[in-house]
Amino acid sequence: MKLPVICSEKECCCGKKECTPGKGLPKIILIGNPNVGKSSLFNALSGSYTLVSNYPGTSVEITHGKARIGEREYEIIDTPGMYSLLPVSEEERVSQLLLFEEKASVYLHVIDARNLRRMLSFTLQLLEAELPLILVLNMMDEAEERGIEINISELSRSLGIPVIGTVSSEGKGIEELKAAISEFTLENNAQKFRQKMDYGSKIEPYIEAVEGLLEPSEEAEISTGISRRAISLLMHQEDRTAFEYLRRAEKTPGYWDERHEKNSEEIRKLVKAASKISEVPLSYLFTLKRQEHVNGIVEQVMEMPERSENKSSENAGKIRAEDDTGKNGSKIQSINLAFPEKIDSILIHPVLGIPALFLILYFGLYLFVGVFAAGTVVDYLENTVFGGYINPFVTAKFISLVPYPALQDLFVGEYGIFTQAVTYAIALILPIVGAFFLVFSIIEDTGYLPRLGLLLDSMFKKIGLSGRAVIPMVLGFGCSTMATMVTRTLETKRERLIANILLALAIPCSAQLGIILSILSRNPESLLIWSVVILLEFVLIGFLASRVLPGEAPTFILEMPPLRKPKLSNILVKTYSRMHWYFLEVLPLFVLASVLIWIGRLTGLFAFALKIIEYPTVWIGLPPDAADVFLFGFFRRDFGAAGLYGMHDSGLLTGVQLVVAAITLTLFMPCIAQFMMTIKERGFKTALAISGFIFPFAFLTGFIVNTILKALGVSL
Amino acid sequence: MVTGNSHLSMKTITLCAMETRKTGKIDRLETKNPGILQKLMAMGILPGMPITLLRKSPSYLFEVDQTRYAVDREIANHIYVSC
Repeated sequence: MKLPVICSEKECCCGKKECTPGKGLPKIILIGNPNVGKSSLFNALSGSYTLVSNYPGTSVEITHGKARIGEREYEIIDTPGMYSLLPVSEEERVSQLLLFEEKASVYLHVIDARNLRRMLSFTLQLLEAELPLILVLNMMDEAEERGIEINISELSRSLGIPVIGTVSSEGKGIEELKAAISEFTLENNAQKFRQKMDYGSKIEPYIEAVEGLLEPSEEAEISTGISRRAISLLMHQEDRTAFEYLRRAEKTPGYWDERHEKNSEEIRKLVKAASKISEVPLSYLFTLKRQEHVNGIVEQVMEMPERSENKSSENAGKIRAEDDTGKNGSKIQSINLAFPEKIDSILIHPVLGIPALFLILYFGLYLFVGVFAAGTVVDYLENTVFGGYINPFVTAKFISLVPYPALQDLFVGEYGIFTQAVTYAIALILPIVGAFFLVFSIIEDTGYLPRLGLLLDSMFKKIGLSGRAVIPMVLGFGCSTMATMVTRTLETKRERLIANILLALAIPCSAQLGIILSILSRNPESLLIWSVVILLEFVLIGFLASRVLPGEAPTFILEMPPLRKPKLSNILVKTYSRMHWYFLEVLPLFVLASVLIWIGRLTGLFAFALKIIEYPTVWIGLPPDAADVFLFGFFRRDFGAAGLYGMHDSGLLTGVQLVVAAITLTLFMPCIAQFMMTIKERGFKTALAISGFIFPFAFLTGFIVNTILKALGVSL
Repeated sequence: MVTGNSHLSMKTITLCAMETRKTGKIDRLETKNPGILQKLMAMGILPGMPITLLRKSPSYLFEVDQTRYAVDREIANHIYVSC
């Protein structure tokens, strides 16, 4: 997720949406697996804030920042998490492309110290790519807690590069890292690394041959930070980016002098031949060879506490707790480790996990966001602060200063920029969205989201999604637009599309949800009908989409980070930067909507559009005036919901009408921002097709619900 | 290949056939889907690594080295473990 970098220094870019501080300076690029603390290291080095969270895959876009280290200034770049140089998912490809295209003066490979054995393999790949590298062993505290000891100087010696241990969340080791970056020069690194990986006599000749053929002529302008050997290895693993590089080379005049065509043909032939003579896929072979090498290093430098690997009947949590008591002789430690373990097993328990989820939803979403923020706070802000003091004052001042009715209408009229856009944004949206993002940040930081993924995976499979999709789905309750962007972390195109449809259709965003909850919660039956219909819709459309859309069923693999106690500072920063992002999206659109409505009213277009929407509005049993709500809903769903609030307050809707309107509006067209994001992520045609489906479908559902409720003689 | 009821001291079974709370060694990964294979390998689920199965329901939860992973049945069926 790209959020605004909040700069500590005011000069560079404050308030601007696209912030690329430090352009043109020497670069530092952060690379590493998801969830190893790259973002918090980025924050510690640059003094600005990006999102730091406890689940894999939050940073889906590249973040730029500026850092002053020693005497020099650097541009510092944080990349989406990647597991290896060979990408599997789209966000990994983003990082891989960056490595192909950028040339940095220092690369920091950030790994989780506990998982040295697992992550060092990627370090070796980066060294094969001949990148000027510093290895950062982050989360040293968690490794120590588990009794893991790492001989850092020995590791540095065997890799031939600087290795620094840090705890980035607490700022430990950052000074050492900065010193290492200052000292670092390209020469002493590239040459120090002497261990060339050997992939076996059968395949080596092919790798070397391709490497040789890739050598450009001296005048060629094509450049990449990655070594030819690494590109050759990637080609043998059929990597798309490596072949794109080859195609680019082909098109670059003078890349190979006159030998041009023959070379690329030759390369393709060699790659084919190599894959034929190997019994196993080459990526498998390469990985195993590298791991052998890693194991050799790890044996030398890392000591783990005696773990009863072969003890079969013990619970893993228990084993760990016992180890700790044994080692430190402290009971507190063992309780510390065993307690999260217990909570953990409740959260992911197939039966107990569901009530646990409902408790979280009840307290977090319903009570805090719905009742407190959307009810109490909004009520006070809207009616007392804005309705009672600010708006009458501003309106009176404006009218006395500007004697033109048309302009008065634009700024302080019924739908005016100030009286509507600004009031709604601050009095309604701010408290609701803020409360949601606060709850979401807490939930996210504890590591609950991957657990929810595990819990819901088998259910999500029925609607064509994997457990991984809970992350965008839950985020969708905050902001559909943000969630649409995060669907990028899903693995298949089909999954991304289904998630996108469901987000657009059946997941109400927090602003909308908050208002709907506060209107409907006065009557529990209405709320129940609304929830059941929306849930049914979600399941039904997901189920149908998974049947109709072509492509393979999704698979589910997710790393499960340990449960962590959320840190207050981190939560506040995250909530703030999410709101910041939201406001940059939302306020201009509110203002735009006010202006459009103003133009529409002046020219009569507004009345015309209202007339058209009145038909389906009346058709679903609502008074013609409710067409207003849907027209607003076209600009923003929450805007529409707010209109509903107003109509309800003036007693224009009956209970049944209110439910029908709330349902239709929830399912209705996503807001403009979400629509734009869908275009960006899925393409214009798909975005149009999704809207073309949602429009009539929302009204159809409203019609059906209205008909059923009437037939049953329900009055609410 | 899958010898769920074998009484040999060392047997190779899929993760699905393993009992929870048992530890074994990953023997091999067997899948025709190169995407899944790459993903597993990249995440560090590799032959030779010790693996402890923690849960089978609601999905599979296991620990390799110091990290826990959640996977579905489909993926668990591709991981062969000797224990």
